[in-house]
Amino acid sequence: MIDSKEASAALADIDDIVQRVKQSQLYELASLAAIWWGVLVFAGNLVTWLWPVYAAYAWVGVDVVGVAGLVALRLLNPPHHPRGAGFDIRLLLVFALFFAFGYLCTNVLGHFGPRQLGTFWPLYFMLFYMLAGLWFGYAFIAIGLGISALTLFGFFYIGEAFPLWMAFVNGGGLILGGLWMRRI
Amino acid sequence: MAELDDIIHQPLRLKIMAALNALPVSAGLEFSRLKKLTGATDGNLGAHIETLAKAGYVSVEKAFVGKKPQTTVIATAAGRGAFARHVATLQEIIAGRQG
Repeated sequence: MIDSKEASAALADIDDIVQRVKQSQLYELASLAAIWWGVLVFAGNLVTWLWPVYAAYAWVGVDVVGVAGLVALRLLNPPHHPRGAGFDIRLLLVFALFFAFGYLCTNVLGHFGPRQLGTFWPLYFMLFYMLAGLWFGYAFIAIGLGISALTLFGFFYIGEAFPLWMAFVNGGGLILGGLWMRRI
Repeated sequence: MAELDDIIHQPLRLKIMAALNALPVSAGLEFSRLKKLTGATDGNLGAHIETLAKAGYVSVEKAFVGKKPQTTVIATAAGRGAFARHVATLQEIIAGRQG
């Protein structure tokens, strides 16, 4: 028989591994979401660069398909608590508030041009990534910081190819970040 | 008086059971993921999984994903029960009712 100190150490080992499993599952789900958005954002920026006249339609499509994908992902991977089987409407509410505030900033309070819009939305999105990282793991912070820094670099130093730059920085960054999360 | 489960009590097997028990019933972990979570080597992890499988605490499923073989380890109902009893015993020891 072991003493209470050894028993405490064993329970601490159990807690530690349970936390790691939970984080690993979270990263797995988050990686799928990041790759999904990455592909869409890459496509959205490519359309913006090649056919600027269709950019507004492309981004509405990206947002709608992106949110639909996340809802589907959530439905296919429900939370593992007893009352978690149903869909949580708060997920849709989060996106509604996110886009409403973004629209307020870019079209009501300010009147952003294409370059400002192309910078604002990734920075705004990555802000939430970094905030989430404070609770859910450093990978979110690393991805958020990396994409934000490269977005700002592009805003100040990349010329007309800015949408192409953003396709690789934001779209490619999310895809690579998602793949990296799966390896942690 | 409850006894500690000798099969589960070994440190690496305790980690394996804790990891599998954190998943929903019938969900499993791939060998490579389990290796990363526990920090064990291939051989060591394989040997301890075999011990747990012989005791009926885990089941091992082997499949091919594309051309790559994939081994998934799942806690059985008996394994989950044994793990819950083991944790309860550890808590009793800490509370001073045993040991």
